[in-house]
Amino acid sequence: MSAAPPFDDLILAVARHRDRAAFDALYRHFAPKIEAYVLRLGSDRSVAEELVQDVMLTLWLRAETFDPVQASAATWVFTIVRNRRIDRIRREARPAPDPHDPAMATLPPPSPEEEAQVALDGRFVRDAMKKLSPEQTEALRLSYYEDKSHSEIAEERRIPLGTVKTRLRAALAQLRRSVKETA
Amino acid sequence: MGLPGHHPQDDLLFGYAGGGLREARSLLVATHLAYCPSCRERVAAFEAQCGAWFDETPSVSADGHLDAILERLHGRLGAEPRASVPPPRPRPATAEAVPEPLRSWLDGPVRDRVWTAMVPGVWVSSWSRGTGGSLARLLRMAPGVTVPAHRHEAAEMLLVLEGAFRDEYGRFRLGDLIQYEPGSDHHATGDEAGECICLLLVEGEVVFLDEPGPTA
Repeated sequence: MSAAPPFDDLILAVARHRDRAAFDALYRHFAPKIEAYVLRLGSDRSVAEELVQDVMLTLWLRAETFDPVQASAATWVFTIVRNRRIDRIRREARPAPDPHDPAMATLPPPSPEEEAQVALDGRFVRDAMKKLSPEQTEALRLSYYEDKSHSEIAEERRIPLGTVKTRLRAALAQLRRSVKETA
Repeated sequence: MGLPGHHPQDDLLFGYAGGGLREARSLLVATHLAYCPSCRERVAAFEAQCGAWFDETPSVSADGHLDAILERLHGRLGAEPRASVPPPRPRPATAEAVPEPLRSWLDGPVRDRVWTAMVPGVWVSSWSRGTGGSLARLLRMAPGVTVPAHRHEAAEMLLVLEGAFRDEYGRFRLGDLIQYEPGSDHHATGDEAGECICLLLVEGEVVFLDEPGPTA
């Protein structure tokens, strides 16, 4: 592997140097994706444009919180879009655990076996995702990424509601099996 | 054996990662995540999948309107205050303090509530969070007391915050999240060893089985 992906570097340049050229390059790459995503989820044009501004401004202000070890640039930007959408469009809070919470340190520590299992958990999900059929993957994408109800998916893909439910159930069973096989 | 043994189904974890879960459900899932490194890993993997889908979206824009927005943003970049490091949180007063995010949402110790008795030895908090038909509350069971038999027309979930309880499906302890299918009924009994406090999510009608309750 060579250098880090370019968008990681651009976010780090914003974090370290307030690099406006890097910000512009990030904007050109991500702004159309943000707008397309928010429109897909059913907002109108003016709301989508406002969210583009909101997300990109958040990226500028919070670039220091980006950790390329934890997440890719696209995943990090997606989580900002998700959180700002919940805040601005749905007008709800999004509760999240706080990794610096001192109360977390008082919880019972995992055993060595449990710790070994935890280290593998994320990989099992990623491996299982790759083994799904294209139809199952699409069902997951529409349901969880595009936040669509089962009946909306059926209508959009012109398939029976029962087929949507079957595909989702099979896909989730596949993901769950990835845990059980190693348990 | 420190970690929780009962976890949210992937439907909830993926929904939390993608942003589809509403507030009350998110609060239960996020508080379980504080107890459960396994589920944190799964959520991170689901977020990465959403990030990959996000990255597949073409980076093209039909006309120049996004350029105009960039122009406007340029005017704001210097003006906005930079993100600052949040001050360290005060250490929870007692060892039994619940973790974030629930602690901030409760705004005070778990036990420091107004409680309403359902039956002797079983209380629900007047504190609640959520919207419409999806509410998070606290449920408190005295040692050995059984919650009256009831059936849920929609989803019910419990997250154990203190103590333990058992029902037809198993024994549940700190950090466990238990999901009950719509239409199921169960008889939760608090552990003999001490009080059990749970974060409870109720959606839709709850029908008590030994009295003429409303039927959905």
